[in-house]
Amino acid sequence: MIKDNEYEALEKIVGSQNISREPVILDTYAFQWCAELLNVINDKPPARYYLRPAAVILPSSTEEIQQIVRVCNKYGLKFKAFSTGLGPWNCVSTPRTIQIDLRRMNKIVKIDTKNQYAVVEPYVSGAQLQAEVMKFGLNCHMPGAGPQVSPLASATSMAGPGFTSASTGFAGRNVLGVEWVLPSGDLLQLGALGQKNDPDWFTGDGPGPSLRGIMRGFVGAKSGLGIFTKVAVKLYPFPSKPEWKISGESPNYKFEIPNYLKFYIINYKDWDALTNALRRFEEEEISFMCYYASRGAICASFANSREEMFSYYSIHTRLKRPLTLMIGAQTEREFEYKKKIVEGLIQETGGKDYTKKIKIRDVSYAEALRCLLGFHGFLITGCFQSTHGGMDTIEMAIRMAKLNAPIKRKFIEKGGIADDQGEGVWLATYERGHMAHCEMPTMYDATKPESVVGWVEYAHACDELDLKEHLGIPFFIEGDKQHEWYGPHCMNYHIWLRKIKEAFDPQNIADPGFYITSKKTS
Amino acid sequence: MTDLQAKLIEIVGEQNVFKDEDVLETYYKRYADNFLVKSPIKPKLVVKVKKKEDIQEILKLANAQNFSVVPVSSKAVDPNASDAPHSENTIILDLTEMNQVLIVDRKNRMCMIEPGVSFGQLFPIVKKEGLRLLTPLLPACNKSVVTTALEREPITIPRYQWDSSDPLLCTEVVFGTGDLFRTGSAAGPGTIEEQRASGQAQKNPLGPTQFDPFRIIQGAQGTIGIVTWISLKCELLPDTRKILYVQAEKLENLLDFLYTLLKRRFGDELFIVNNLNLASLIRETSAEITKLKGKLSPWTLIIGLGGRQPYGQAKLEFLEAELNDIAKEQGIQLLNEIENISNEDVIKIFDNCTKNPWKLRYLGGSQDIFFLTTLDKTPRFIDTFNKIVESTQFSKDDIGVYIQPLVQGCNCHCEFNIYYNPSDTNIKQKARELFEKASIQLMDQGAFFSRPYGIWAEEMYKRVSPVVVDSLQKVKAIFDPKNVLNRGALCFKEESA
Amino acid sequence: MTLELKKLADYKDIMERCIRCSMCKWIPQVQIKSWKYAQVCPSIDEYNFHAYSGGGRMIIALSLLTERIGYSEELLNIVYRCTACGACAVSCKYLNDLEPLEVIEALRKKIVEDGEGPLPAHKKYMKLTEEVHNPYGEEPSKRLDWLPSDIKVSKNSKLAYFVGCTTSYRRKEIAIATARIFNKAGVEFQLLGEDEFCCGSPILRAGGEAQVLDLIKRNIKAFKERGIETIVTSCAGCYSTLKADYPRYVKHDFKILHTSELLEQLLKEGKLKLKKEVPLTVTYHDPCHLGRCSEPYKEWHGEIMEPIPLVRFPVPPLPLRQGTYGCYYPPRNVLKAIPGLKLVEMERIKEYAYCCGAGGGVKAAFPDFALKTAGRRLEEAIDTGADTLVSCCPFCATNLQDAIKANNAPIKFYDLTELVLKAMED
Ligand SMILES: Cc1cc2nc3c(=O)[nH]c(=O)nc-3n(C[C@H](O)[C@H](O)[C@H](O)COP(=O)(O)OP(=O)(O)OC[C@H]3O[C@@H](n4cnc5c(N)ncnc54)[C@H](O)[C@@H]3O)c2cc1C
Ligand code: SF4
Ligand code: SF4
Repeated sequence: MIKDNEYEALEKIVGSQNISREPVILDTYAFQWCAELLNVINDKPPARYYLRPAAVILPSSTEEIQQIVRVCNKYGLKFKAFSTGLGPWNCVSTPRTIQIDLRRMNKIVKIDTKNQYAVVEPYVSGAQLQAEVMKFGLNCHMPGAGPQVSPLASATSMAGPGFTSASTGFAGRNVLGVEWVLPSGDLLQLGALGQKNDPDWFTGDGPGPSLRGIMRGFVGAKSGLGIFTKVAVKLYPFPSKPEWKISGESPNYKFEIPNYLKFYIINYKDWDALTNALRRFEEEEISFMCYYASRGAICASFANSREEMFSYYSIHTRLKRPLTLMIGAQTEREFEYKKKIVEGLIQETGGKDYTKKIKIRDVSYAEALRCLLGFHGFLITGCFQSTHGGMDTIEMAIRMAKLNAPIKRKFIEKGGIADDQGEGVWLATYERGHMAHCEMPTMYDATKPESVVGWVEYAHACDELDLKEHLGIPFFIEGDKQHEWYGPHCMNYHIWLRKIKEAFDPQNIADPGFYITSKKTS
Repeated sequence: MTDLQAKLIEIVGEQNVFKDEDVLETYYKRYADNFLVKSPIKPKLVVKVKKKEDIQEILKLANAQNFSVVPVSSKAVDPNASDAPHSENTIILDLTEMNQVLIVDRKNRMCMIEPGVSFGQLFPIVKKEGLRLLTPLLPACNKSVVTTALEREPITIPRYQWDSSDPLLCTEVVFGTGDLFRTGSAAGPGTIEEQRASGQAQKNPLGPTQFDPFRIIQGAQGTIGIVTWISLKCELLPDTRKILYVQAEKLENLLDFLYTLLKRRFGDELFIVNNLNLASLIRETSAEITKLKGKLSPWTLIIGLGGRQPYGQAKLEFLEAELNDIAKEQGIQLLNEIENISNEDVIKIFDNCTKNPWKLRYLGGSQDIFFLTTLDKTPRFIDTFNKIVESTQFSKDDIGVYIQPLVQGCNCHCEFNIYYNPSDTNIKQKARELFEKASIQLMDQGAFFSRPYGIWAEEMYKRVSPVVVDSLQKVKAIFDPKNVLNRGALCFKEESA
Repeated sequence: MTLELKKLADYKDIMERCIRCSMCKWIPQVQIKSWKYAQVCPSIDEYNFHAYSGGGRMIIALSLLTERIGYSEELLNIVYRCTACGACAVSCKYLNDLEPLEVIEALRKKIVEDGEGPLPAHKKYMKLTEEVHNPYGEEPSKRLDWLPSDIKVSKNSKLAYFVGCTTSYRRKEIAIATARIFNKAGVEFQLLGEDEFCCGSPILRAGGEAQVLDLIKRNIKAFKERGIETIVTSCAGCYSTLKADYPRYVKHDFKILHTSELLEQLLKEGKLKLKKEVPLTVTYHDPCHLGRCSEPYKEWHGEIMEPIPLVRFPVPPLPLRQGTYGCYYPPRNVLKAIPGLKLVEMERIKEYAYCCGAGGGVKAAFPDFALKTAGRRLEEAIDTGADTLVSCCPFCATNLQDAIKANNAPIKFYDLTELVLKAMED
């Protein structure tokens, strides 16, 4: 509970209309996608709500955030930031925690069209940013979560794979200058932004060691080490002519596919052929998107209803290990060149072009450009969450998919998770095939306790598999319990991570629930 | 024999501990004359190591006995004197013999190397596998590959630099505490062997989990940890190449075209040099350089194109045609050749190293000033620099300029080379004066010295927010609480030990 | 969603399946064309807490239903600071199948049923409607005060012009224009006069289900008694209520037309000729209730199968009201037929149009919020370069004109009928 004087101190900063401790408002922050999983993981019943924050506050500026954090320090309150706020990692982990909803910080601060970066505040969405930067022929990376989430959150605080990762990389690697309110309330500006003369956003490293090194890691510190108020993210060339012409009414939109863009679904007979194909396509540096999604996932991502998805059944049965590829070009010549390479590579790798059979609707092109394909998962299943997430080579990612299938089938038989024949996989390549990650989207029913428990048990088996088979560290190794489990298997990293927390936030003012706890608390 | 010496001998054996004056002197000479070093300090001892366990032992000893350790991995002299001790009580940890190429992996486009591996050693090995390295512009053959990656030295192919940290991937490191660690996916689960058996190749630099220790080690001038190997991102070696050029009287005239190429991700090698630097890269002697320089336009943009079988020819044709169209549209003259320079001359400087460091070819001495900025700001900095050259009456003919776009075009490395004859004390003094004055004025103008060596460090850290310095010191206190690693470098002053 | 009426508890499953993705705060993602006009929910745009979004209100409803929270003044405020514009539902259902708007409406009904609401302003107009058959408390005998003496009304026509309370008492210019056009185009129509009662829309949106049911029954009876087959209305609220909501309570087979639809038909048949130049650059505001909310509910008799265990699959497919079949083109086609008139579109149109801010009882209970929302919509209209804003709803007209006045905005407002009349005048 928050005391009156504490509440008043916060209220003074933002005004009474921008803070609340009414249960009716707090409950809307306790309810989260996958909160039921979090509850079960923490030995509680599988409710759709996690903890209520002590209050929710809506700051409008970095200065206000600094003041809020200082008040938290003064009264021993904790804070948890969120930007667009999708996912259980936004939940507060202890009762005296203030949820800082950054919705009012929603500006695109700068688009540097020449140097190809944009500076955004937390509540700018991917679609907003893309719409603005494409006016200059540019594009931004978006996480698979979709265009409605925050590029700032993704870049600074949260994982970062995306459907276009082959050409737009990983969110955590697209970061330039950063403005960051530390758990003390101090303002840290990374890189050239931190200099007093002509501060600028074009780099976030140095002078000397890069403080990006303590900022987020592979999966993000999830507000465990402060609040990011602005970030410069790298931009990428828009893959085709930057035109966006869409007509019709929802959901029957008609998209005028801009010049020059083309989807391919190329089928391979087995994992080895697919591994080779992913590598070869990426070596030729032609793709805008290049990933493996299981045949079921392909049918889902190109359908806009369950009925449509099931109508793809005959294709589904014929697809084995399909590679999804999209190429884009600025000129006819570039397009022809890339198409020629694709044809050559299909031959070389022994693939079969299934593109025409899937009948990809034009609006799927819009959804691909706008990173909406992943969201089709919900349309089909109601709810899913991924397990695994390790990222290294294509080969490792494929191996993970192979090894996971029998385990998943075992749990499907048990009845907790939905039947995808153990095949539900999304495997994305990064930076022209230099890396790949693999995750297993797993359908369950969030409203059925046995299903929620089933998912959690299955996820634990996945985490164990990664340890045993050396498949990298999964996405959701976060929080003390998980770190203390994995740390000893991974160079005792958790000891160092904890030291960072202790150095910057000894009193755990930044909610450590999805990070790591300082043991220095008095 | 001192107690320290005895203890070190116990760790690495007598043959690897050096206290002879002439040995110490050789190390001292590497940096004593460097303008970045205010008051050069001679190391107390030099210790050669080959095993990470020995490094761990030595660092534990340093913690116990409170001395500073400066690692040296290159046989080549570091033009930035990053190996100069800042503290009286320093030993040099010579890693040049820790020089195994541990892995070369064509399939996964990487290699794993120890710190002593030099460019001269590595180039032929990776080329044999069909790989190319992402390197600084024509590095010295005896330079350590690891340290160039660790020091975020600019690479010549901006489109392959997705993150400022590239080409550095994973590291194995002994922190200042003496603890061994592996960063990125190399952290585990599993040993490196187990990871490789599982299909991994230490490609993901991020993590483990929620921090990126490799970014703290990088750019740290050896103040956070001593790296015992790194995995390095490689690309595929082209078998078909073509070089294109654009020449200009004014730098500004090249920038729009360069920006377009960066945005389209066209061109492998992509950089701008002034005539003196281009001549220095191409010719080997002072006379030849002077001669060639006179025939070149003041500025040249170099564009390297490459392709590989079976699509190499098609790729080059497509690229050339596109580049020609863009050039035409922008009123740029795209050249297949520059008079007096052959394509072979230029190709030679790519995917290659030199035994005759190109910056020393012209006058025998060079001191570099470099910083990060954006391409559009470079003309302003060049203007400032030229004014200082004028005001210090240094010969403007002896200035090299190198502009290297980085991170796929988001920023660039801007470098001025002050060439001088080291045996002419008068000129040398002028060069030093120019160096010091220009460094400060450029910083004041917002040039971001992201790699602040020697005397730059103090000046640069004065010019950033105190929260940055405080945060760096907090990080340092975690990984090297006793400040035994390169004590005094960066913002880690002696007294903070 | 289906024709069948449901209680809040019936939506529990839907509420529990909200994924908190926040799609409901934005226009459908593929439609986003700028930073500025990407958002769609007037309520969260003003109040910012998640509670103020479509998804947020589903959570509140679930919390109330499951007794995690009880009634409070704050709860009522949140529930009623929503224009029931339905934009959230369109965006949610682009890639999901939840029903935030239906939940909001069911929640309001529960609040009224439980005797906890609606808000005083709503209670006031509900009472007035009960007493004098219009929410403004105007005299029933004055309903036809707008009617100019030269208008020809055909008492026995099977076509009725259902004027609606707002048009009758507050936006008389629309009624006049409509009637004149009908006369000129030779459309015979009857007027109900004192016999015209409120359609029930304001009561329904505030959750007054019992009261609205009486009204519906009464109105349908009156229509039948007067031999009416086709009802034409110039009000978007009346239109969607008669067309989409009535059949959920009482099935009827009246043909419901909005004036724009009739005008489009007349144009096609050559009965309406627009000859006079109207040299304006106009942008058109889609009223929520003429557009996305007017889509009829469909019957569904099926069951939820699980062809794959845990994956629910309604057989036959559940009809979804996704805003697909709103009345979007008739007003535009009519505008395009006006000589000299240039139509420019705003970014948020049709099923993802931004609400004017007046609906759902907001204008009555939270006039400032209503005005601010209209101000946002005006900005978008002005950004198109248009000099004139046009719409098809007296309620939108009132709120948008209030905002034009309050902001001294450089734009004029006309109802579609007014412009058509201009183009007809000789
Ligand atoms: C269908 C689906 C697919 C997904 N696919 C992907 C994917 O491909 N790649 C991927 O990366 N993720 C994916 N996710 C997970 C996804 O990243 C997150 O759900 C999403 O990025 C979080 O969204 P957000 O941007 O709304 O960030 P938020 O939820 O706002 O924040 C994420 C985390 O960062 C913290 N945070 C947010 N803002 C700040 C700030 N300003 N300062 C400090 N901390 C902050 C929050 O506390 C939270 O812990 C997927 C989710 C779904 C539903
Ligand atoms: S109501 Fe729909 S769109 Fe809104 S958060 Fe819930 S699932 Fe997402
Ligand atoms: S009905 Fe309109 S105002 Fe209400 S929540 Fe939905 S979008 Fe917002």
